Amino acid sequence: MTGILYSEALTHYQAAKSRDLKKSDMATDELLQAFHPDYREDSLVSLSVGSNQGDSCHRQLAELLQSDARIDEADLAGASIVKTDVLVIGGGGAGCAAGLMAEQAGARVIMATKLRLGDSNTVMAEGGIQASIERGDTPQMHLDDSLKAGHYRGDPKLVAKMVMDAPDVIRWLIQQGMQFDLDEFGDLMTRRAGGTSADRVVYYRDYTGLEMMRALRESVRNSKIDVWDYSPVVELMSNESGHCAGAVISNLKDCSYVLIEAQTVILATGGIGRMHLNGFPTSNHFGATGDGLVLAYRLGAKLRDLDSFQYHPTGLAYPQHLAGTLITEGVRSAGAQLLNGLGERFVDELKTRDHVSAAILKECAEGRGVRVDEKTAGVWLDTPGVERANPGILAKRLPKLVELGNKCGINPVEMPLLVYPTLHYQNGGVVIDEHGQSTVPGLYCVGEASGGIHGRNRIMGNALLEIISFGRRAGLQAAEMSHGRGHKKVTIGHLSKLRRELAVAGMPMEMKGPMLFPECAKFEKDADYQGFRRKKQ
Amino acid sequence: MADKHSMSEMDQKLVNVKIDGKAITAPASLSAIQALWYAGYSRIKSVGCLEGVCGSCRVLVRRAGNSEVRTQLGCQTLIEEGMQVMFLVFPRPTHHTYKLEEISSSWEVQTKFHKIFPEASRCRECRGCNASCPKEIDVMKGVALAAKGRFREAGELFVECVMCDLCLTACPELIAPNHVGLFSRRVTAYFHTRPSNLIRRLEGLQRGKFKVNVEGETP
Repeated sequence: MTGILYSEALTHYQAAKSRDLKKSDMATDELLQAFHPDYREDSLVSLSVGSNQGDSCHRQLAELLQSDARIDEADLAGASIVKTDVLVIGGGGAGCAAGLMAEQAGARVIMATKLRLGDSNTVMAEGGIQASIERGDTPQMHLDDSLKAGHYRGDPKLVAKMVMDAPDVIRWLIQQGMQFDLDEFGDLMTRRAGGTSADRVVYYRDYTGLEMMRALRESVRNSKIDVWDYSPVVELMSNESGHCAGAVISNLKDCSYVLIEAQTVILATGGIGRMHLNGFPTSNHFGATGDGLVLAYRLGAKLRDLDSFQYHPTGLAYPQHLAGTLITEGVRSAGAQLLNGLGERFVDELKTRDHVSAAILKECAEGRGVRVDEKTAGVWLDTPGVERANPGILAKRLPKLVELGNKCGINPVEMPLLVYPTLHYQNGGVVIDEHGQSTVPGLYCVGEASGGIHGRNRIMGNALLEIISFGRRAGLQAAEMSHGRGHKKVTIGHLSKLRRELAVAGMPMEMKGPMLFPECAKFEKDADYQGFRRKKQ
Repeated sequence: MADKHSMSEMDQKLVNVKIDGKAITAPASLSAIQALWYAGYSRIKSVGCLEGVCGSCRVLVRRAGNSEVRTQLGCQTLIEEGMQVMFLVFPRPTHHTYKLEEISSSWEVQTKFHKIFPEASRCRECRGCNASCPKEIDVMKGVALAAKGRFREAGELFVECVMCDLCLTACPELIAPNHVGLFSRRVTAYFHTRPSNLIRRLEGLQRGKFKVNVEGETP
């Protein structure tokens, strides 16, 4: 990697409250085409089988969507069967909201989570949650901002539901016992997200997700929801008419399978960061391996925007062992500017995330980045400048940033941090309607695993809003649809069709999906747990 | 910090550690979890956010030449020469249960609290909770404040709590101090967070003052 050496770049750097933007910023479309990873031609393929046949998809994701299943009928012989009304898959914010609403509506709920309840990207969310509550702001402005930032590729009907839900989502969260930062009059404090027209993000320090997850997890643990920790789903099941009717759970401890037959299933499995698309570091949780997309696609659900991902502009670039760790957009909201190795400002920091990321990649590609070694480069995030403009703000409003600085041995009050885009969010996902229902009857999908709300780019605070807004919607609807007498015959029959299609299309079928755990964890040759399934000899 | 070169070199230095009884040689810049993976061992349980906010990776740590055993988060523990690390299993959920909706008014909170957490007033001040906390929270004081009904102040002490349950494991009286802290935070929000800007907007929505046009703007 070319660029200006760290020590030299440091001599060009000077903390300042603000600087003018000297260079003219490139137009967004042009910049994205040239530098955003979504537009790298070699990273896209066209899907060969399934409901999205012919659609453009990221190569690594396509491999998994068209992978072979981990199980076949023979594996399920003798497996025990558990019955419930609603099965929620995933234990993050979206799953909790869905589960709580379904339980309150009188449904029996099982929540199966791959790791522990609350182990999710939700707990790591920092920036906040969007809700138009200030004078001069309206749900319409929230809608317009969301659609515009998504390059008008989002589904306006879904976004409309979400923005109208937003204030009540905040009230519901307070009723779950979640705190927010308040001003001296007890009003919710708001800050502005990049690419938006009003101060609309409410937050709790830079621990918004942690605070939300603490409250929601406690609510779930104190409800009648039956939580199954360390219970990854390896396949969905359906009835004879193709209605989703449950899931196959793998037990990590003894490698046995359990079948959960459910009247309705809610997928809330989160994103794909741990696939490390295009080799990027990620800000995501250990379990973010895109399992829900694979499970839903196999059952015939339609997906969308599979070639659109969010690279958050400010991932930590250095030190190595923390590379990819997120620095919240709240830091830029608070006024921090981005500087290249020459100490120059090169982008309006509060443009949309895709624009700012592409601008950083441009500086690094054109040799104006700050270089640490052959593999590592980035640009400065001028945190000392924010502190100058507003002494004490870092410690008071952004404690997680200060703690991250401690871990790097860098005091952000005095020294700028080196940042580089990090794989952050899956913009697309399972196609849903306003109740979170997918194109497969009985299968609901909420949160990051669903698609259509964020178009091709998400604004800060809309993810935490989406998970609660649509989590509640899906939970209610799924409970309502669970009054039937249950399914007659529940099988994994869809797999034979899948395998036939894969074979006809000449797919390699060497890879097995869903991925479940990142490669680095070496799941298949697990010394302590014997592995998920012993390899066939 | 100014001398980047030497910092890079330190990152590459190999150290010998023992993790869950396995002898491992790995670069000093790795965390205990990363070192296990680096050496080719599997680790799935007790791995979560890898950023120190989910509380999953609870470990016991003993450093070379020191008999003291500390509790830490594995993803936040950089390995050192001669260090010994043991992963702890996550405990079962606490036996304390409550629903916020069942507390009828803020006058009831203190009475309810002592019904839900009867052990809290039996704290023997052993400081095990404080010693076990990877976030250096003054847990014991939090419990004492809550027992006195000072829920807002108690909750403030637990801002950084990641619910790793280490204090729950450490407490000989089974107080579940982190859940006491969380209870304190939750009742504070439930009974006292009433933002006028939010309430005004909710009223407006209820009166049908705000409508959205799904056609939106066009590009």
